Amino acid sequence: MTLNSNDRNADQRSYFERFSHYYLLVPGVTWMALFLIVPLLMMVYVSFWTQTTFAIHSELTTKSWVTFFSSETYFGALLRTIRIWLTVLFFTFLLGYPVALYIGLFVRSKTIQTVLLVACVIPFWTSFLIRVLAWRPMLGKEGAVNLVLQKLGIISQPIEVLLFTELAVVIGMVQIYVVFMVGPIAFMLSRIDGSLLEAARDIGAKPFTTFRKIIFPLSLPGVTVGAIFVSVMVLGEFATASALSGRKVNMLGNIIVTQVGSLKWAFAAVIGVVLTIVIAIIITALLRLVNLREEL
Amino acid sequence: MHHLVKARWALAAFTALFLIFLYGPFVVMGILSFQQGPEGGPQFPIIEWSTYWYEHVVGIAPASRIAPLPVGEALIRSLTLAFATMIVSTILGTMTAQAFRTKFKGSGFVFYLVVLGMMVPGVLLGLGMSLVAHQFGIDRNWWSTAFVLHVVYTFPFAFLVMLAIFNRFDSSVEEASLALGVSPRRTFQKVTFPIIFPGILSAMLFAFTLSYDEFPRTLFTGGSEVTMPLAIYGTFSVEIHPNLFAFGVLTTLFSFALLSVYAILMGLSARRLSVRSTGIQEDAA
Repeated sequence: MTLNSNDRNADQRSYFERFSHYYLLVPGVTWMALFLIVPLLMMVYVSFWTQTTFAIHSELTTKSWVTFFSSETYFGALLRTIRIWLTVLFFTFLLGYPVALYIGLFVRSKTIQTVLLVACVIPFWTSFLIRVLAWRPMLGKEGAVNLVLQKLGIISQPIEVLLFTELAVVIGMVQIYVVFMVGPIAFMLSRIDGSLLEAARDIGAKPFTTFRKIIFPLSLPGVTVGAIFVSVMVLGEFATASALSGRKVNMLGNIIVTQVGSLKWAFAAVIGVVLTIVIAIIITALLRLVNLREEL
Repeated sequence: MHHLVKARWALAAFTALFLIFLYGPFVVMGILSFQQGPEGGPQFPIIEWSTYWYEHVVGIAPASRIAPLPVGEALIRSLTLAFATMIVSTILGTMTAQAFRTKFKGSGFVFYLVVLGMMVPGVLLGLGMSLVAHQFGIDRNWWSTAFVLHVVYTFPFAFLVMLAIFNRFDSSVEEASLALGVSPRRTFQKVTFPIIFPGILSAMLFAFTLSYDEFPRTLFTGGSEVTMPLAIYGTFSVEIHPNLFAFGVLTTLFSFALLSVYAILMGLSARRLSVRSTGIQEDAA
């Protein structure tokens, strides 16, 4: 009798253990399916709808798609978005890598490491939009940068191309997103075993060779993760572009906002799908280089 | 070795410059928030130092042509939304991460489905959701359509934090408790929860701050009642005034307060953990 009930208990437990995780998954997966997948599919579907001046109806057509690819403005926005993305990605890497190298590898004390990382994160405690706006008094004709450069006698006339240009947008984005590059790289670098570097030195490797053959390859997963973060955020941007360019530089995101504002739903959906495809290609390419799940 | 010393100094100097670049705009903003008002604009030179714009933000400045920021209502909406998002996404994140402790078929698919939520740019998700709302005649509100998207955005962060916590979790403690006859519920309360509590706090902090500052998703789905980021975005199209800078400084101070609470709770939980571990013996007995 006791044996029997023990058996049943064991049965019940194994049943629970075998299937409990499915119950735990249901709410999360349902939420994502309803509020993430459905909206994205809807966007693809609506991009083939017929757009009239103020409404859309569900007759399928490729007219919005034809308009997108035949319009200089819209196709130009696609190219501009890609150009800004590449520029920002390049500069976040160029600025971020040395900083990550210093924090992750050269600073030995854990405390100072943490302090420096926290110092990088503190600006995030200010609202994103206010951080963007803070660049206006920096870059303007009478802005801080021009004032300082003039005081130092480096320039005699204020530089006017600093604000309300594509340059301003790039500067702003690099400052806002560079930390997402520093973090993952510093993390990977701090995991490098010090004895590995000693071994390299013992067999006579020059510092630069050690960097090229050991340090850089080991930090690559961090670079990839950082690049994914920066890419996703830059490609979906519109606020920085509109605030720092005075609405002159239009990325795909800006066009989506304008189109939704004028109730051109089908057209906005087309641009949304184009943007999704661009991002999907870039992320897939980057994920080829690193397995995100294993790096966690 | 000589090279390395040089490299160290070069990198240290570079990092210092980098921090100046990172903080520059913020310092300038802080200085300009003390611009004279209401005539002083958001640029140099400072006409006269004053706290006019701070008074303007909290609504005690004399009336002027510059419209006050809708701090009261918008701020309460933002905080409510962030709080609700924090609760829901932390629960979802913990549940999903708990499920990932057992290996199961399709775990890769679920992992990427969840992570997709933080990867898809807000502008796309906002657009998709407003299309759905438009099609099915659902009203767009900050507490409905915007809220569900906020959770889509913050749930993956909570999930990843909890996954990392569970990865380092020694489940033999849990098994020991169960083997000693402590009920699963009590085991969760007394053993599992205290261990994962720091993780839960981090997940909550992530979710709260991300949702509080969330903007592209809310822009499309928030409806007519604006949240704080939307109110700030509204000022983009018109002239900006130093009251935004004063507000920026104030919100940053608020964030620091929040972070201090988090740090204190973390410290407390570390202390409680060491105290609690003695209490479980009575349960087992």
